[in-house]
Amino acid sequence: MKSGANRKAQAPGTGSAAGQPPGSAPLGLADTVAQSLINLQTELGGSPDLKIRRIRLGGDSRIEAAAVHLSGLADTVAVNEFVIGSLLDNTDDLLRDKQEDGAGASREQSPLPQVILSRALAIGDAVLQEEWKEIMLAILSGDTAILMEGCLEAIICDTRGGEQRAVSEPSSQLVVRGPKDGFVESVATNISLIRRRIKSSKLHLEVMKIGSETHTHVALMYMKGVAGEDLVQEVRERLRKITLNEVLESGFIEELIQDKTFTPFPTIYNSERPDVAAGNLLEGRVVIIVDGTPFVLILPAVFTQFFQSAEDYSQRFDIAILMRLVRYVSFLVLILGPSVYLALTTYHYEMIPTTLLINLLSQRENVPFPAFVELLLMETAFEILREAGVRMPRAIGQTVSVVGALILGTAVVEAGIIAPIMVIVVALTGIASFAIPAYNMAIAGRIIRFAFLILASLFGFYGITLGLIVFVAHMNSLRSFGVPYLFPFVPLSVNGQKDTILRLPLWIVGRDKTPKQMSKELPEYMQLTTGHDEQLPPLILKNDTPASRGMEGENDEK
Amino acid sequence: MGKVKFGLGEFFCLTVLFELGTALVVNLGMESGRDAWLSILLGCVAGLIMFTGYAYLYRKQPDLPFTAYTRKLLGKYIGTPVALGYIILYINLAARDLRDGSTMLAMATMHNTPLFILSTLMLLSGAYVLHKGLEVLGRTSMVFAVVVMLIGLFGTLMLMLSGTINLNRLLPVLENGIQPVLASVIHQNYMFPFGEMVCFTMLMPYLANVKKGPWVIAAAMLFSAFLLSFTMALNISVLGEDIVERSPLPLMPTISKISISDFIQRVDIFVVMVLIIGVFFKMAVFFAAALVGISELFRMPYRRMLYPCALIILFTSMLDARSFIEHLDEGGTLLYRVYPYFMVVIPVVLVIVTAVRDHFSAPRPG
Repeated sequence: MKSGANRKAQAPGTGSAAGQPPGSAPLGLADTVAQSLINLQTELGGSPDLKIRRIRLGGDSRIEAAAVHLSGLADTVAVNEFVIGSLLDNTDDLLRDKQEDGAGASREQSPLPQVILSRALAIGDAVLQEEWKEIMLAILSGDTAILMEGCLEAIICDTRGGEQRAVSEPSSQLVVRGPKDGFVESVATNISLIRRRIKSSKLHLEVMKIGSETHTHVALMYMKGVAGEDLVQEVRERLRKITLNEVLESGFIEELIQDKTFTPFPTIYNSERPDVAAGNLLEGRVVIIVDGTPFVLILPAVFTQFFQSAEDYSQRFDIAILMRLVRYVSFLVLILGPSVYLALTTYHYEMIPTTLLINLLSQRENVPFPAFVELLLMETAFEILREAGVRMPRAIGQTVSVVGALILGTAVVEAGIIAPIMVIVVALTGIASFAIPAYNMAIAGRIIRFAFLILASLFGFYGITLGLIVFVAHMNSLRSFGVPYLFPFVPLSVNGQKDTILRLPLWIVGRDKTPKQMSKELPEYMQLTTGHDEQLPPLILKNDTPASRGMEGENDEK
Repeated sequence: MGKVKFGLGEFFCLTVLFELGTALVVNLGMESGRDAWLSILLGCVAGLIMFTGYAYLYRKQPDLPFTAYTRKLLGKYIGTPVALGYIILYINLAARDLRDGSTMLAMATMHNTPLFILSTLMLLSGAYVLHKGLEVLGRTSMVFAVVVMLIGLFGTLMLMLSGTINLNRLLPVLENGIQPVLASVIHQNYMFPFGEMVCFTMLMPYLANVKKGPWVIAAAMLFSAFLLSFTMALNISVLGEDIVERSPLPLMPTISKISISDFIQRVDIFVVMVLIIGVFFKMAVFFAAALVGISELFRMPYRRMLYPCALIILFTSMLDARSFIEHLDEGGTLLYRVYPYFMVVIPVVLVIVTAVRDHFSAPRPG
């Protein structure tokens, strides 16, 4: 191994491949192609999917070269036609010219790669690379590396390709009317889906790699001039601070960049729909696309955003308002339904109209459990059913719901274990949780429902009311990248009301949706982006007298 | 100073909820009989006059809580004990409010739950909210002010539709002259609930807008006085003076008169909700005032004193009286003997000191 030559070629400290045991000579590009190839194979552990095509460049001079790619990751057509094909076709003449030229000895060093790069290759994107680590990363990403005899640089040709899922209808967040395309697992495709919708030069894109092992591409998109400058800076900063080995899904990123980690509520919105992403970009939000997942992150996200659906804007505004109201009501039913029922029947039965009360009592006559136990049993059963239904193969999933909902429900009532009204309450809350467009918000509601259930069983409406106060206070303490979580309501913004619970017709809302006016309006609350202090639990914050304990509430409204 | 700032709207809502507090459900100012609603309005006027003094002090030192300017104006040796007295006052008020609230709750619905448990739950919720920060308290109050308003609107509408309101029960106005009304104001109403505004002197440094802040608070006081007065008038016009006078929580029987086609009836749970919300915010404001005072006086982090302070409030509220009657009796004594010093005398002294100082140290033109 010509390690001396290696070291000269590599920038200090970057040359040794990751995972190389210290002490042994670092692998790297060697003077001879054969040695370089051996190094490559050693590093990949002789993996059979590493395809090596050895060729000779030039008619007479016979320079040894090799094109290396990983099968499956690279686009075979591109490799064959544009890399190997063009190398074989074009180099003869070129090198002959060069040799004649070279007699004049006007060029220093080894101009060979430059010549090939500038003249021979018919591929769109190719660069020279001398760092071993980068070359490895490129090969592992699906690029083709061309190694040449006597050259300490390799040419990296962009031949990424291979099998990918085609753009198809998103499996979550369905709409009746609206675009039917969804994001896929490829970051490049996803970017193109957004770019296709916003043909504006203001749409900026930044790409970074996160994950020391996975080297996942993470793209950051925003509208320049619409999204707050400090918001973008903050997002960039938080992304940069991530130190992870693996980023397999946008959830990994979400968890590490959100403001507060101890809350059931999602503070970053995710979507599978390009139209949602585009709409949010135009409203001044930032979109983060992670390679390998169709779910992009949209931030900052406030509470009301999780109750909006892309369809609200495709339907008439009055219908959209009705649909939104239904969603908010169903969230209330989800978190409060069982607990209110419990409080009413065990603590405050005087509130129930007498005839209904008699009916209820006669139903419960033979039930052996207290109402709380009864409700807890049913809720647990329902959660099990739901979890079983989600994980099952689609064909069996149907059966689970039929067996669970119909047969189990009927049997349990007939056996006299559960009162029929209880089945109604539980089923209603279950269905209500499906009416919320955002799955993660529905899960938050499901967790909170149990807390309210316990409070109601112990304290009736007293517990529920105090629970609600704490619940609202908790949401008020949340921020998503500096934006208060309950934003258009608290702090109150009249302008923000136009598109939260209400969805006013576009001729009212639309007028100030031009980016310029948005940017004028947005910074009022977007400028609140705060530092990483938000991630710390409050107890860790030092010196927090009321005077110094700032960071959170400044300039809420003036 | 503090970067935590309340918006004006938040402060308005907090003030309204604070004023409504327990006052909304009890028989306020019933010493003046069916003119109770008048005595509430007069009490508010008296409260506003007192508040002018607090606002004057605030304008002079917009960055300091009350306990800081007692020391600044009276000197270290007199000022510190006075400031300490105020902290004890706030803790006492919070504890009394907690006792009031949980006893009323026990009377209204939770007949079998131990008082201690009720108080603990309430206090823990308060501690949680304050742990999240003062501005969280303000923002939360905004949501619940709307809830209380909606419940009020609903209740009034339903009472109207049920046809139980008889305005003749309010007549004649001022049957025995102005005497009983004034007596009621002097005995109770200027202090409860309007004199208790003294604790807002601790929170006003967190106001976002020095100029408009006091006006907003005054407007909130007036607004809540109208609400209280309206509620009292409603009680009397529905139940009649006699029942209201003898009922500890007259709003409950009033609301339970609602009956629409046998379906909407006995909605008094809403009153209980209003009571819970009111008690909660009132207690939380006193609690916050005490905490701000402690952290300012002893230079301690605000959150470190949160749970010890909560414990003190809890046990004060449980131990201050053996029964509710004794508790009320004590309250009456405190109202005459102790509170006037803190709510009137000391602030007046401070106002005079400030005014005199200003007068003599004012830069002369030329």
